[in-house]
Amino acid sequence: MPSRAPRTGAPRRSCIPKKTTSAARRYDARMSPSSSGLFDGYPSLPGTYDEMFDARGARASFQRVAELLATMSADELARAQQIAEAALLQQGVTFSVYGDARGTEKIFPFCLLPRMIAAADFQRLERGLAQRLRALEAFLADIYGEQKILAAGVIPAEMVLGAAGYRPMLRGITPPGGVRIHISGVDLIRDHDGTWRVLEDNLRTPSGVSYVVENRLISKRLFPKIFDAARVHRVDHYPTRLAETMRSVSPVPDGTCVVLTPGTYNSAYFEHSFLARTMGTELVQAPDLFVDGDQVFCRTTRGPKRVDVIYRRTDEAFLDPEVFRPDSVLGVRGLMRAYAAGNVALVNAPGNGIADDKAVYPFVPKMIEFYLGEQPLLEQVQTYVCLFEADRTYVLEHLEEMVVKAVDEAGGYGMLMGPQSTAAERDEFRRRILAEPRRYIAQHRIELSSCPTWIAERGAIEPRRVDLRPYILTSRDGPWVLPGGLTRVALQRGSYVVNSSQGGGSKDTWVLRGTQ
Amino acid sequence: MISRVADHCFWFGRYVERAEATARMLGASVSLALDGELPSAHVWRPVIVVSGEQEAFRARIAGGDGEAAAWGDGEVVQRFMVWDEDNGVSLARSIAGMRWNARSIREVLSLEAWEAVNELHLWMRSDGANATYLHHRDGYYQHVRRATQLTLGLLRSTMLHDEPLDFVWLGVLLERVNQTARILDVHHHAFTQRPRGGAGDDVVETALWLSLLRALSGGEAYLKRSAGKISSEGVARFLVSEPAFPRSIAYCVHSAYERLCDVRPPDIADLPGGESVARLRALDEWVAARRNAPLAGDAVHELLTHVVDEVHAICGTLGRELFGAPAPA
Repeated sequence: MPSRAPRTGAPRRSCIPKKTTSAARRYDARMSPSSSGLFDGYPSLPGTYDEMFDARGARASFQRVAELLATMSADELARAQQIAEAALLQQGVTFSVYGDARGTEKIFPFCLLPRMIAAADFQRLERGLAQRLRALEAFLADIYGEQKILAAGVIPAEMVLGAAGYRPMLRGITPPGGVRIHISGVDLIRDHDGTWRVLEDNLRTPSGVSYVVENRLISKRLFPKIFDAARVHRVDHYPTRLAETMRSVSPVPDGTCVVLTPGTYNSAYFEHSFLARTMGTELVQAPDLFVDGDQVFCRTTRGPKRVDVIYRRTDEAFLDPEVFRPDSVLGVRGLMRAYAAGNVALVNAPGNGIADDKAVYPFVPKMIEFYLGEQPLLEQVQTYVCLFEADRTYVLEHLEEMVVKAVDEAGGYGMLMGPQSTAAERDEFRRRILAEPRRYIAQHRIELSSCPTWIAERGAIEPRRVDLRPYILTSRDGPWVLPGGLTRVALQRGSYVVNSSQGGGSKDTWVLRGTQ
Repeated sequence: MISRVADHCFWFGRYVERAEATARMLGASVSLALDGELPSAHVWRPVIVVSGEQEAFRARIAGGDGEAAAWGDGEVVQRFMVWDEDNGVSLARSIAGMRWNARSIREVLSLEAWEAVNELHLWMRSDGANATYLHHRDGYYQHVRRATQLTLGLLRSTMLHDEPLDFVWLGVLLERVNQTARILDVHHHAFTQRPRGGAGDDVVETALWLSLLRALSGGEAYLKRSAGKISSEGVARFLVSEPAFPRSIAYCVHSAYERLCDVRPPDIADLPGGESVARLRALDEWVAARRNAPLAGDAVHELLTHVVDEVHAICGTLGRELFGAPAPA
């Protein structure tokens, strides 16, 4: 075990038996008679926290649902899974496969067994996430303003000012309504003892919320009785809250809000269209918009119409060819002038990349103390910042145990999974880290918690690792956490990577209501 | 509404209507061929001519030969009109076009209408569709017809009756004008050029006109209006001028004009779209004025040519004025 790995990575003595067969036998013996069946022989992963079961059987909050689920047969489950997939395909809940000329679309793999979160657990997460968002908002306001946190030496200035996500030209601009992170998705994981930890912040254009709502529709259709018995918080009001959030930052009363998509070939197009549809707004593409006199207009069949709030799902590098990439065809010329003049709200604000930079992440607890004078409510993952010599030396000496990530990449790209890597891959990363230390951070691999997952090929339920992406909306009045979220699941046996681009799927997330 | 969205709505409507019309025409041709009273080239060549793809068919399918056997081979013609990915008006392409446009305006369609479109799209690519095509041809065309008709019905019964639906319907109606005009033109020409004088000639003639009417789903409607009498001029007049038949040229042009007036009121001068409105109104009046004009011989062809040319021009004007297409250089 690494000497410098407090709190993370190194599994302590596990409360879960190591031998899977004996664990399974123990469930048999201890579960109530009605709950034997479907989960018989469920092999928990050694050293891993399982979301549904502990060594004694189903966790107390989930007992009732586990019993009801267990009354189903494997055949019924297989059929339900097929119905779910057919429904998703039929409704076009799909993403386009890049580089496929025939425009093939696929459904995002879905496991029908829900992931549950106990009421008290989620209440703690809500408070912690709201606190985190308040601090991150304060950080962005400060960095694009006075930069007090740098002057105070809480974060090294080079860490911020030298980052690709920092946009000096935005300094001094206050966004309409004073909000920058209207929509965020903060990825959470649970470690070997079930402690929730923030893995990363997504403060630019986090995606996936449409699957939260669509997955829920499927669950309700497939398991009406179980769903009813579970008493789950609803999630379908998210679009209404998002529309309110957008209106709250409009520069004019009752402003016109639109969703801006890069187009139908974007892999998240379904979601863009979903959001426009469920909010009752127009879905626009860049050529539909133009800027005149620092005001944004939309080309309509009745001539130009003013636009006041844009939920843009285009990456900021492509937003305005005047300011960012001049070769962008997805952009709107002059958009940033209109934004700087305060005539249009951009959701999310450009420039947020500095706050979800993976090398800035280790400093978020300090931000919370600095801006709010509070102790952080959520744990993070111990992170080594390769820019710092001591950390870098440690990382290079322990590459085999570590997960190395490029600070400005996402989607599971630009990553080294040390324990599964080859010597050649480690050499490659060693070279990259030494060449550009600012671009890399490293963490010990966390034993992500597992969740019972239907594995169609084997017709059985097996544990697979999961994370959770809750969605937080921040309006003029502050943050609001959707009681739900996207549970992503690493469907490959033994995998720790939940990203959809790397063979991940999703589950419906049931946040249970508290007892009255 | 957003010009690009209006454009997708319009083309979505055109593709739905085109898919339906193609399926109906192919189904009617299969039935006509089965009667065995006509040389098969007389049944199948017009299908290609109506589609406007005779040059492509000659070059790619008939080996450059205008008289090759392919023109009269029902299987070859149907494969070309159903599956050929390089034929811009094949069913496969129309349904793909309809689905692509629908997906681009998913946020303006109702869920039910979208599901109907998506189901047809998925079905077209399924083994089931292929098997139905091979073993139950009529059932295949029927499936496409029903799915498109369901889509058109759901659009009207589940969507807001405002601008997006008006643009969809404008597309449906102008496409329908085109389909009716082309089918009538091609078949009228072929039928009236037929050598006659043989025994049972009247029976064959009646069957031909009924088949043409069936291709436009107007057989029974026509018989009601004509008290059972079938004549070349009667059928032509019905398809051109019958104000109550939803596929007649007069009906479609007039309804299209009404839809356009809803989205672009003619009395507001400073809105874009003035030329489109004026031109469509002129066509509406022109067709109405021909209500009682003689419709024999070349008169039919001249009338229909004018209609098709004008519809083409109006679509271009709509594109420039309302859908944000660049003006021609």
